[in-house]
Amino acid sequence: MSKSRITKRTQQWRDTAIPRRPLLWLAAALLFTLPPMFGMLASWVPFLFLFALAMKFWMEPRGYRLRSFVLKLILAGVTVGAIFLSYDTLKGVEPGVSLLAVLVALKILEAHTAREFQVMVMMAWVLCLCGFLLSQDFAIAFCLFVAFALLIAALVQFHRGSSEDVFWLPLTTTFKLLAQAAPVVVLLFLLFPRINTGFWLPVGDPHAARSGYPDRLSPGRIAALTDSTNIAFRAEFPDHRTGPPGPMYWRGLVMWHCEGMEWRAPYGAMPISDSSRPHPESDKTIRQRITIAPHGARWMFALDRPFEVTSRAILARGNYLYSVQPIRKARSYEVFSSIEPMEKELDPYERRQALQLPASISPAVRELAASLAAHDSQPRAIVNSALQFFRTHGFRYSLSPGEYSKNDLEEFLFHRRTGFCEHYAASFATLMRLARIPARVVVGYLGGEYNDLGGFFLVRQADTHAWCEVWIPGNGWTRIDPTSVVAPGRVSQDFSSFLASRGASGEMATGRSAFLTRLARLGLVNQIRSAWEAFNYQWDTRVLGFDADVQDVLLTSLGLTNRGPILLIMQVLIVIAAVLVIYVGWMQLRTRPRTDRIQALYERFCQKLARIGVGRDPWEGPSDFATRAAQSLPNESKDIRQVTETYIALRYAPGPAAVNLREFAKKVTAFSANR
Amino acid sequence: MKAGKFPLLYPTGSFVALLFVLGAMWYAASSQNSPAVYLLLFGLTAVFLVSIPHTLLNLADVTIAPESAKPAFAGEEVSLPVEIMNCSRTTRRGIELVLSRSCGERKRVDYIPAGKAARVTLRFPAAKRGEHRVGTFRLTSIYPLGFVRVLKKFASSQTYLVYPKPSGDPRLPVHRAHLLHSRPQTDLGEGDDFAGVRAYVPGESQRHIDWRAVARGQPLMTKQFAAEAEGSVKLDFSALHFQDVEERLSQLALWVIEAERVRRPYGLCLPSRAIAPAVGEAHFHRCLRELSLFQEVERARA
Repeated sequence: MSKSRITKRTQQWRDTAIPRRPLLWLAAALLFTLPPMFGMLASWVPFLFLFALAMKFWMEPRGYRLRSFVLKLILAGVTVGAIFLSYDTLKGVEPGVSLLAVLVALKILEAHTAREFQVMVMMAWVLCLCGFLLSQDFAIAFCLFVAFALLIAALVQFHRGSSEDVFWLPLTTTFKLLAQAAPVVVLLFLLFPRINTGFWLPVGDPHAARSGYPDRLSPGRIAALTDSTNIAFRAEFPDHRTGPPGPMYWRGLVMWHCEGMEWRAPYGAMPISDSSRPHPESDKTIRQRITIAPHGARWMFALDRPFEVTSRAILARGNYLYSVQPIRKARSYEVFSSIEPMEKELDPYERRQALQLPASISPAVRELAASLAAHDSQPRAIVNSALQFFRTHGFRYSLSPGEYSKNDLEEFLFHRRTGFCEHYAASFATLMRLARIPARVVVGYLGGEYNDLGGFFLVRQADTHAWCEVWIPGNGWTRIDPTSVVAPGRVSQDFSSFLASRGASGEMATGRSAFLTRLARLGLVNQIRSAWEAFNYQWDTRVLGFDADVQDVLLTSLGLTNRGPILLIMQVLIVIAAVLVIYVGWMQLRTRPRTDRIQALYERFCQKLARIGVGRDPWEGPSDFATRAAQSLPNESKDIRQVTETYIALRYAPGPAAVNLREFAKKVTAFSANR
Repeated sequence: MKAGKFPLLYPTGSFVALLFVLGAMWYAASSQNSPAVYLLLFGLTAVFLVSIPHTLLNLADVTIAPESAKPAFAGEEVSLPVEIMNCSRTTRRGIELVLSRSCGERKRVDYIPAGKAARVTLRFPAAKRGEHRVGTFRLTSIYPLGFVRVLKKFASSQTYLVYPKPSGDPRLPVHRAHLLHSRPQTDLGEGDDFAGVRAYVPGESQRHIDWRAVARGQPLMTKQFAAEAEGSVKLDFSALHFQDVEERLSQLALWVIEAERVRRPYGLCLPSRAIAPAVGEAHFHRCLRELSLFQEVERARA
């Protein structure tokens, strides 16, 4: 009978509904795992998730739950089918994450025991992981961090039971745990070896298609990027030298291959050999630390004329950086740039490349090029007269110049005369080549926004720019920006302020950006945005930039790599254990009951007596004990009586005691019973 | 009470689940070489590690003081009140108390403020008659995160008594020849009719005290009822015809209860020991105690 009662009770315990409060914390945490799902997964998945959460709170007080096994099976089958229909596959990150999210949603509907609560918390942590697989933006990371903390709070709330004494306890405990965990996290993050397991998860990178400009400068390609506020990269100047005053040209890619209005980069970058690479004097160099956003391609950026890069990149022909591997995640690198052209000689191969022209160039354009060189055949004079041509013939700068095809050079130069930086760069370089001046097109970014809090420059996709370089004997590759002639404002300001200054003249593209520009003028909003950008930068550089390779560099500089990862792991674990021991000691010190000094001394005295066989029984009063002890230890009876009397006087005397504590301590210390 | 020297620490079931999650994170982090996932992995690991001292210290300066358990009849439940004392300077939460021998029934105290105590009553089945050791108290806690459990053992020499399970014939034996005190018979009806008073014996139930007489200034007198006048009954172990000792003890226990219920003086006669007839709570428990310890006494004699 009794046995059945016990099993009944445990069953009852198993059937208890999950308490409401922990469930609320858990639901809050789950809400924060949602943002990465929106936009990344099939749109019904996060909505199903939300619906399941809402259902749970409707069902829970009524005692409903998903009980029927058949129904569960059907629901699981339907959702898996829906995922398959949405993606046409079940492989890959997005379908996988969708599957997990849907399973968590079903689990929420089904869960009803304490154990299942734990399972849900664990699944929510896996959802955090999924969030990072979908996106590693700072905003997403922030949400996931909040979710992470709320999950801890949910666990604390769950384990504290129904005590309602302090409402904020889960949060304060979570905060305490996180604060104590912080040093351990830093230690693990910096020093714990990142062992590459070598099994590569087939993950299509969601960033790959998102940003970056094309390797082909066809008309209209860059103009399409101008309304993108995505961040391209950030740059810091560790030496606090930002180069000569004037606009900052960030070199990205050099295009050699001309097709009239369309230019193209070489399919593979050819490295410049080390020996032929000149080194400028140190006061002409600028050190930069750049954190690049993932764009899936290989180009990297640096202030104009990089000449040295630290790792995993080459300096390609045309003096631009080219990553050894596609940039699929945020990456930091340090680079040195020279503020002056470095090459003094143009090698024949490059000259040939820089003079290549397509066959399909109209006679009118050829004529124009010939006329440029008519007065003076000096390269500088030709360049100037070409710029003069752009300045004086009513060329207009416009974000929406209309469509051009690659053979529309004539149309652009003689009829429409409306274009964007890419049109000017392409047409100018083509004209230069026609005039037998080696020319090439450089694509990169112009300008950037300085962030006060972070002390870095922020360059957005909208700052994309294209310009030309022409070979001037004696001076080397010289930067010519034909856009500056047509729209001087564009070059001297960054793009958004350029747009803002033109907003009044009715050139604004959309109402949304007008609103944003107005918002951006408000000081507070700017400050918040700037602080956010600063955090964002820290996240990208300090966290996302700290991958296995960077860690290697750090470990080497600390001299920790030479003895293998096992030893390092041991060392890290020992340090962590020490940290934990410190926590234990500190917490114990803070919570240990305050001991009474008189009591402690008396207990020491009793211990001394117990060691020689006269232990004090818990119920024995001090004077009774003294009498008994004195009887069994006649030699010490006087001392025993004295100590006990002092103790009683100190502890129980009304008013101030005649003897002081120090005397008592002395007596206890001096007391030694030897038989 | 004094606890074992060091609290023990061992992982719980959700620790295994945590290992799975950490494993998944590690797999994702190392295969993608993704610092963000590594950060998540290390964050969770660190929070888990840091929760260990919290759990470990959740029982620091928490001690227990068991009270004495009331005797129970075999087949019933023993209830053992225990005081859990928090001597520390902070609130202790999520404390569970379990006896190592009882079948896994935990008693949970959600929180004990600093310097306060909480009382829980452990219940466990009383299986066999006799005197049993309470065994070891296990004070455990998994607060705050539930990945590890801290265990503090309190070995106790405390015992509790289980009386024999009362069963058999509820009618009291009638041994006219063995009546110890011959008294004039009244009737054998139910014990409801007032039949006079006698001097109060300390330890008796106070229910039958003649309080009116007390109010008049007379000494304490107990009212007697008709059935009692029947005379005392001798409950003799050897007079029972069952073979099985337990069965005999059960029958005797039942009679003791019955006799006490009708408040008829009863004496117990065991092979080793005899208890003079009396009535009252103290006598009642003394008799049952003799019955529950019966075998042990016998074995000691043998």
